[in-house]
Amino acid sequence: MIYDKKTAIERNKLTKSLRIFFEKEKFLEVETPIMVRIPGMEPHLNVFETNLIVGNKKTKLFLNHSPELQMKKLLGANFRNIFTLTKTFRNGEIGGNFHNPEFTMLEWYRIKANYKDLMKDCENLIKTLAKTPQITYQNHKIDLKTPWEKFSCEELFQKYCKISLDQNRTFKQLKNTAKKQNLDTNFCKDWDDIFFKIFLNEIEPHLGKKKPTFVYDYPSTQAALAKKSSKNPFFAERFELYIGGVEIANAFSELTDAKEQKTRLIEEQKIRKKLKKTIFDIDGEFLASLESIQHKCAGIALGIDRLFMILMDKKNIDETLLFPLKKILN
Amino acid sequence: MAMTTDIKKGLAINFKNGTWLIIEAQFVNPGKGGAFTRAKIRNLKSNQVIEYTFKAGESVDEAEISKRRCQYLYNDGSTFNFMDNDSYEQFSLPADVIGNDKRFLIDGIECYAMHIDGAPASIELPPKMDFKVTTTTPGIKGDTATGGSKEATIETGAVVRVPLFVKEGDMIKINTDDGSYVSKAN
Repeated sequence: MIYDKKTAIERNKLTKSLRIFFEKEKFLEVETPIMVRIPGMEPHLNVFETNLIVGNKKTKLFLNHSPELQMKKLLGANFRNIFTLTKTFRNGEIGGNFHNPEFTMLEWYRIKANYKDLMKDCENLIKTLAKTPQITYQNHKIDLKTPWEKFSCEELFQKYCKISLDQNRTFKQLKNTAKKQNLDTNFCKDWDDIFFKIFLNEIEPHLGKKKPTFVYDYPSTQAALAKKSSKNPFFAERFELYIGGVEIANAFSELTDAKEQKTRLIEEQKIRKKLKKTIFDIDGEFLASLESIQHKCAGIALGIDRLFMILMDKKNIDETLLFPLKKILN
Repeated sequence: MAMTTDIKKGLAINFKNGTWLIIEAQFVNPGKGGAFTRAKIRNLKSNQVIEYTFKAGESVDEAEISKRRCQYLYNDGSTFNFMDNDSYEQFSLPADVIGNDKRFLIDGIECYAMHIDGAPASIELPPKMDFKVTTTTPGIKGDTATGGSKEATIETGAVVRVPLFVKEGDMIKINTDDGSYVSKAN
């Protein structure tokens, strides 16, 4: 087994400058748990399960797939700007260049802010870590000069596929329009499936190749914890950041309406049931916390291994890790 | 019909009016949606390489191909020549069909030829192969600059990264998929 010390040193330097960045921005670093009783409801994620055994009593626990619920509980307890650097786990996500079932997630939450403010944070953070105004990733020169590119989902579907999402809100409409544009919707069971099949084949490969790109205003169906757009509630205030064709981060203006959040969690619970995935309880403490969040706020999850992979110009995420799971399974 | 959950390197499929060989397959998950498989596929007639993302579980039409054992003979830069192990017939394939696999071909090595419609269309290497290290620098204890690994040239001329303890003349096992070091070979 090769343990690449040079990469480990580089990674350690990046982690240190990341902590300095957030300290300067006056964020408090908090530690969130790896094992939880109730993870987030995301319908498509698979979790690792384990049992806590005390005497004869067994309690089912899960490895956290995101520290989001815990971070918002802290916001509800009057914590202000916070960040966490933690391990997260997603079962089944292995293979290819960009996945390891255990990965490092950076999450930060800003109060009195919306998702657009987090775009600025991303620009500042990544420029600070890169140290140079231009980076090279797998032979693509990527210009980090700000402002970075910003496109809404609606704009991208118009630009690359001549499809308006807004005017094709039902499964049937979107399927027919896609067919007219000669786009493959094979095996797509719902509106979101078509969205992703087109997005992954026709749009994603173009993103972030010359400059980092923010894709914003995703369909509300794909943003259960985000605030709906006040201009058009078909979309939600969510963005993803792409660098060199790779998805790096996912951010929301946070939904703080507990009643609406509960309705959305119940819907997602039903989808999990339909997809035959492990069903989680609805986290009552999380819903109660939302009610006591005093300011509007925005939060973001950024995949640290992927970001470091790009900054270190490595093709595979495993090259940034000392102990990638794939090597252990080999 | 094959399912894309089986979509993996080496599978041949009928797709978009052609026969394509999957040369790379990777898992993608958009997080807020279901799982997909992003594949790099090569048209077995035109050699055109494209990327395509399938929905996980999507049915695709598996093409009928046969795998036959063969032996690599030699190349003249643009064509690579092989011999079928059963019929002893010789055949050649253009360099761009061999692609990156050429770095692991040495005279006499055994691999598979994939046949469509009775004709050889491409080759497949064993997933792991043993090679002799021809040149490498001696490993120095505590050398931080090289970061625990160093370059080694193997008998095919390919350069791979190996741990510091590997010496010239050692036999090592290499993953032919990504060219990474697996272990020392006996």
